[in-house]
Amino acid sequence: MSFVRTRIETVGGAVVDASRAVVELWQVYIGTLAGVVRGGGRRGELWRQLHAIGNKSLLFIVVTLGFIGMVMTYEACLQLARVTGDFSQVGSQYLRLIVSDFGPTLTGLMLATRVGAGIAAEIGSMKVTEQIDALRMSGVLPIDYLIVPRFLASLVMTLMLTVLGGAVMYGAGGLTAQYSFGVNPSLFFDLALIRPRHVILMCVKAVAYGAAIPVVSGFCGLRARGSSEGVGWATTAAVIGSSFSVIILDFVISATALFLTGGDL
Amino acid sequence: MSAAIRALGAGAIRIAEEVGGIVVLTGQVLRALVPPRIDWRELVKNLHKMGNRSVPIVVLTAFFAGGLMTLQSGPFVKKLGATSLAGWAAGYAVLREIGPILIALMFSGRVGANNTAELATMTVTEQLDGLRALAIDPVRFLVVPRVIAMMIMLVALTVIGDLVALLGASVVGRALLEIDWSTMYFSFADNLKPYDFLHGIYKSVAFGGAIAMSSCYFGVTVRGGAVGVGKAVNAAVVAAAVSIMLLDFFITYLSG
Repeated sequence: MSFVRTRIETVGGAVVDASRAVVELWQVYIGTLAGVVRGGGRRGELWRQLHAIGNKSLLFIVVTLGFIGMVMTYEACLQLARVTGDFSQVGSQYLRLIVSDFGPTLTGLMLATRVGAGIAAEIGSMKVTEQIDALRMSGVLPIDYLIVPRFLASLVMTLMLTVLGGAVMYGAGGLTAQYSFGVNPSLFFDLALIRPRHVILMCVKAVAYGAAIPVVSGFCGLRARGSSEGVGWATTAAVIGSSFSVIILDFVISATALFLTGGDL
Repeated sequence: MSAAIRALGAGAIRIAEEVGGIVVLTGQVLRALVPPRIDWRELVKNLHKMGNRSVPIVVLTAFFAGGLMTLQSGPFVKKLGATSLAGWAAGYAVLREIGPILIALMFSGRVGANNTAELATMTVTEQLDGLRALAIDPVRFLVVPRVIAMMIMLVALTVIGDLVALLGASVVGRALLEIDWSTMYFSFADNLKPYDFLHGIYKSVAFGGAIAMSSCYFGVTVRGGAVGVGKAVNAAVVAAAVSIMLLDFFITYLSG
């Protein structure tokens, strides 16, 4: 009997912990929005975060998205060569996919790794060295001071990097198609299939990921306990939490868009 | 201007240092495998911790990833009236690219980052020096079992994840796009070849190795307390993400 009881207690404990975490995450999110409305956070810090989140991720995003863009075009052309051998649609379909899904989502996943881990590591280190308590003691809200500038910077920079990452993916894909399969660039770089709804979808996704990553990672950082081990745990949780929220948001937004446009996306 | 050049050079030297360090550590791991004296208890413990405990997150990720592929390809194939191709597009993308990459990225976040945090904590609390003082080689005792465990478990999780992703593709196809189960099943069965699946598995072996080496390297070379541990984890996940993308490209290009 005691075995069953331990099991039930384990599951119950996990459920209680998870629901408490969801409530806390919600509080951090509301606190961040309230801080943005109040105009919390300092101007100088915002510039610093824009630089840290945007400029410093530039090389990372260009390298990763460039390579995955080449791979995707390569795989698609390989399949088409086996089946039809008709490459006239590759470029325009590929661009449609980049704009409506892969551009924002892959950029979001990469930023969740780099920016999410960075935010959690920084805030987590401050938490375990009691700098957060010092902030509270001097009458500063930690969320306003730490998360609001990162939130605003991430909103702006995720959108910017999404546009850049999508362009790099498309360009890398075009070069691969040209040099490996002899696809004419003027045929590949064809904007015919792009409609305003695709661009709107891209912006919605980029903004959603940009909002989710700093809030989830900041929340993980603020929950850090103990010393160096706690910071490690917080950073791990931030990477998982923010990557996973990008995937879930992608699914929800894509399904909603499909539903709103009546299946004709 | 000179500051910019200096920053660029410093960045290049840092990257070269990290790549070199990872290669040296890989050499030490390979050296420790000849003759193969592995700490079996440590290996089994790591297999359980890295594999079994990651199943929920991998299953969830794979399910949504498969669903997303149907969401993206579905409207197009429906417009052409070729629903029998829905499984081809979704299955091909899942087995060869999206499945291995997404599962590796989640694995890097869940297991790689965790491993870096653990090793880094041991390093900053001087437990590694303690091991050396007892004449125990930290590479043989700590790094080798972790590398083996990560490579085995990423492959195992990719096999599970591929299956779940195909299930997710079918469920989303049925629920949101009204594509029949049987249409989807035959679409998978007719269009996907065993090689497509194997291609993803090759990749996951390489990804597992890359994640393991970068996470162990940043774990054992950490400096300076709690701040250092956070930075090490950050560096490890970034290095893992870059090497996953690079390896993906080279494996696809070389094996076709």
